[in-house]
Amino acid sequence: MLDWLAYVNHRLSRLPLSEAEALQVMEELAAHLEDDYLSLRAQGVSESEAVRLACAQVSSWRELRRDILSAKLEGFMQNRVSQLWIPGLVTLFSAYALLALMQFAGLRAMTSHPGEPRGIVLYLPWILSLPLIGAVGAYLSRRAQATGWRVYFAASLPALALGVFFLLILPWSFVVDPQVPLHTKGTALAALMVSWVILPGFALCLGVALQSLRKMSVPRS
Amino acid sequence: MIRTELKRGTAELAILSVLEQQPLHGYEISRHIEQDSGGALRFTLAALYPLLYRMENRGWVRGEWETSDNGRRRRCYKLLPRGRKMLAPLRAEWADLFRAMRRVAKVNHA
Repeated sequence: MLDWLAYVNHRLSRLPLSEAEALQVMEELAAHLEDDYLSLRAQGVSESEAVRLACAQVSSWRELRRDILSAKLEGFMQNRVSQLWIPGLVTLFSAYALLALMQFAGLRAMTSHPGEPRGIVLYLPWILSLPLIGAVGAYLSRRAQATGWRVYFAASLPALALGVFFLLILPWSFVVDPQVPLHTKGTALAALMVSWVILPGFALCLGVALQSLRKMSVPRS
Repeated sequence: MIRTELKRGTAELAILSVLEQQPLHGYEISRHIEQDSGGALRFTLAALYPLLYRMENRGWVRGEWETSDNGRRRRCYKLLPRGRKMLAPLRAEWADLFRAMRRVAKVNHA
């Protein structure tokens, strides 16, 4: 009997999916062809004719490959929106809306070196509320079947977005402020990273971890 | 209003309808459709799986690997609540189409 898995593997030739997903697709198609072949054989069809008829189910492997990739890509795009961007934007908006509200209500930042660029700025009540926002982001992301890094990405988007922003404006500072020494810029960047990326990012990820614990403690119905 | 994606609509309705009765793997889905339609509808592998993957992405069906008694692995598809919810509008759409075609083509039930 034909090795159907090897046959499909040869015909589909390196599906650009993850290794596990590509193997699953090939295994599923091979099983289908094998079932068809066995059914034909059970009806008394000769082996060579049964192989020919089973193989005839796919007139163009190139088209099948394209259709499978298109279907998988559609899913990938849908998943990316529901697992990453929607929860990420919810955490981003919530985190900074809350900070704006706190500032409006008169919250003042704690600063390690007031007035200096190396000063670390800390809005303590805001930082303490971030685990809750991170947990909400993690919940939304997991509800869309996300796992692993996707959940952490969605929950910590407020910190990641600012981190990327700071790294992008650093080269720009060499253009607009060429007279400021490099070490001053480096210190200021480090302070910004700690104040707005590392500490908030840690608080948001703490929320993800707490949400994971809660998820594990809720018994499945 | 009848959708333009007529061909895909037929296939979706046929797959959801057979999965409404019981969970099935891909080959069984194609056999059930063929048998239930008296041989009029035949789904080749090439037509079936891209559609199943799309329906899975939309949350209409879910495929899960199962191992049979003889050790062969099959991916079994189960209808999900979202897919069940799609059945009624798809059926209504097809009823509209048949009514319209009967009027246009003067086709009567045998």
